[in-house]
Amino acid sequence: MARLQDHDGNLLTDGVPLGIEQIPGGPLLVELPGDWQFEAAPGSDVSTLPGPRKGRRLSRAEAWHPRLALVVGLCLFAAFAIWRWGLSVLVAVAMWVTPESVVKVIDAGNMAVIDRTFADDSRTSAARQKEVQAIFARLREQAPPAPWGEYRLLFRDMPAIGPNAFAMPGGTVVVTDQLLERFDDPDVIAGVLGHELAHVSERHVLAQLYRAGTSYLLVTLIAGDPGPLLQDMLREGNLLLSLSYSRHHEAEADRLGVATATAAGYDGVALARFFEALEEDFGADGPSWLSTHPAHGDRIERIRDMAGSQ
Amino acid sequence: MQPSQTHQVQFTGNAKTFFGIWIVNILLSIVTLGVYSAWAKVRTKRYFAQNTVIDGRHFDYHATGGQIFAARVIMVLALIPFMIPFVNLVAIIVLLFAFPWLLNRSIAFNARMTSFSRVRFGFEGSYGRSFLVFMLFPLLSVFTLYLAYPFVARAVHRYTIGGHRYGTARFAFDSGVGPFYKAFLLAVGWAVLALVVGFVAIGGMQLFEEMAYASATGVNPDPAIMVRFGLLYVVFFAAILPAAFIYQAFLRNAVYENTTLEGGVRFRSTVTPVQLIWIAISSAVVAVLTLGLMLPWARVRLARYLAQNTQVLATGSLDEFVGTEAAKVTALGDAYTDIEGIDLGVAI
Repeated sequence: MARLQDHDGNLLTDGVPLGIEQIPGGPLLVELPGDWQFEAAPGSDVSTLPGPRKGRRLSRAEAWHPRLALVVGLCLFAAFAIWRWGLSVLVAVAMWVTPESVVKVIDAGNMAVIDRTFADDSRTSAARQKEVQAIFARLREQAPPAPWGEYRLLFRDMPAIGPNAFAMPGGTVVVTDQLLERFDDPDVIAGVLGHELAHVSERHVLAQLYRAGTSYLLVTLIAGDPGPLLQDMLREGNLLLSLSYSRHHEAEADRLGVATATAAGYDGVALARFFEALEEDFGADGPSWLSTHPAHGDRIERIRDMAGSQ
Repeated sequence: MQPSQTHQVQFTGNAKTFFGIWIVNILLSIVTLGVYSAWAKVRTKRYFAQNTVIDGRHFDYHATGGQIFAARVIMVLALIPFMIPFVNLVAIIVLLFAFPWLLNRSIAFNARMTSFSRVRFGFEGSYGRSFLVFMLFPLLSVFTLYLAYPFVARAVHRYTIGGHRYGTARFAFDSGVGPFYKAFLLAVGWAVLALVVGFVAIGGMQLFEEMAYASATGVNPDPAIMVRFGLLYVVFFAAILPAAFIYQAFLRNAVYENTTLEGGVRFRSTVTPVQLIWIAISSAVVAVLTLGLMLPWARVRLARYLAQNTQVLATGSLDEFVGTEAAKVTALGDAYTDIEGIDLGVAI
């Protein structure tokens, strides 16, 4: 039982307190029947007062005490564990529940946007297209099946992109006229297409999308509001980490692509010639930690190493 | 007319107590893969509200973690249409129309969940006004090359402050556009001056020419040029960041000066841009050097600085004012505060 009286000793309310609550560093609040709240002076002893203690365990955990050092250690470990394993698990779960129809819509939507903005119908002759499709068919037999939908190859004229090829998660691979004009050699084409097939079979596009989204969300949720300046620093750092992830994917696609092309009866190592030509045409690229792709020189070297080990 | 009394706002929190709350919040947020962060947000807001004290009375924050979590789940679900091509076009149009309403709900939620001396704040918005001040006016100011932006800022404050109430007492904001132009021009002036001086000092034009030459000929640029390019980045930050603080400081002072609360309550803010910048930069440096462990200290430090530079001026005693409002609210009953039903609690 508790009684609340005013200065003159008049009874304001009495009864068992509905709740006693104190956030560390905050006021001690006692909720009383009749919508009364009593605020105890700092340091008051209310241990004999009956009534439920709201959030007592949490407040005790938060109190200043050497064991907070343990909490700090646990935080560091948990953050490392999430970064090292947790993200991969979350991404894997997200990919597992992603239905095929959604991925197909992504492919179709992206293609529609690309066609409207910077791609024109291909100028490559039908005969040449047939040749390249034949290479693609041979590679497809050697590559692991596409996780969502089927592999298909499209031709587009994309002057803004230059000699290049890219893949979408549903299995759509696009090759530019500029690439076919620049490279005649079927081995180089096979190397490039093998690389793109590897992006599809290893689900790189969605993995990057999900990983970037998840880590952004986690950083925002866990760091809360670190204040001006630091918020930006955290997010930029997160972006740099995701770039390293993308470089890792490119290297993996190089390795698998070369293997696929070789299995299909081509000289997969010709992929190195593609990067050499790019370097010749456009020069070396910027610092590697700022790039989504590994430096051309590194890639050429690594692909040639693969030839040595085969 | 009673003489006006000045009440200093005090912040009674300290880095020691907040550190425990902060680190436990982080641990629980990580362990629950972010789910606990909704409860963590409430805990943090409560800590800062309860430790903000005027005349011995403190603020409080009453939202529950469950409310914030539910709002976040709704927001994540609402994001799905934006990821589907073509459907996202419809979703964007729907969002544009819902935006003024969402903002009103969000402001109202935050107001209603905040109390001072157990009397809740409130907010009544209108869709039309919200649409004008948050969407149409900012859009129109683009066509004036943002030169009319101070008018927009004034309209936003007139709307948001004027819609708030404490208990039943209404807030009001009225001001000439002068102070808004002062804040705006000083900030823009600083940014432009710093950019021009920095650009010239580094030799920006020559730098761009050399970069263009290097990329045209395929020659690797000189490392010294890359360093100067990095300096350009530094100049950019030295221009933009202080500008933001200059704007915020002058704006805060002007807004507090011209805000009134029914019943003869006025406000005063005396923050300076130099101190805000100093606090932001030194806090960031300390936080980085301590791997983030001093972040709670930084937040407490900023809260304390802001409190120290805020005063409330009341004609008569604050006790009497709060007592009157508490009585009025009790007379109206709780229906007055809960009548609008479910809150989205969008944290914008």
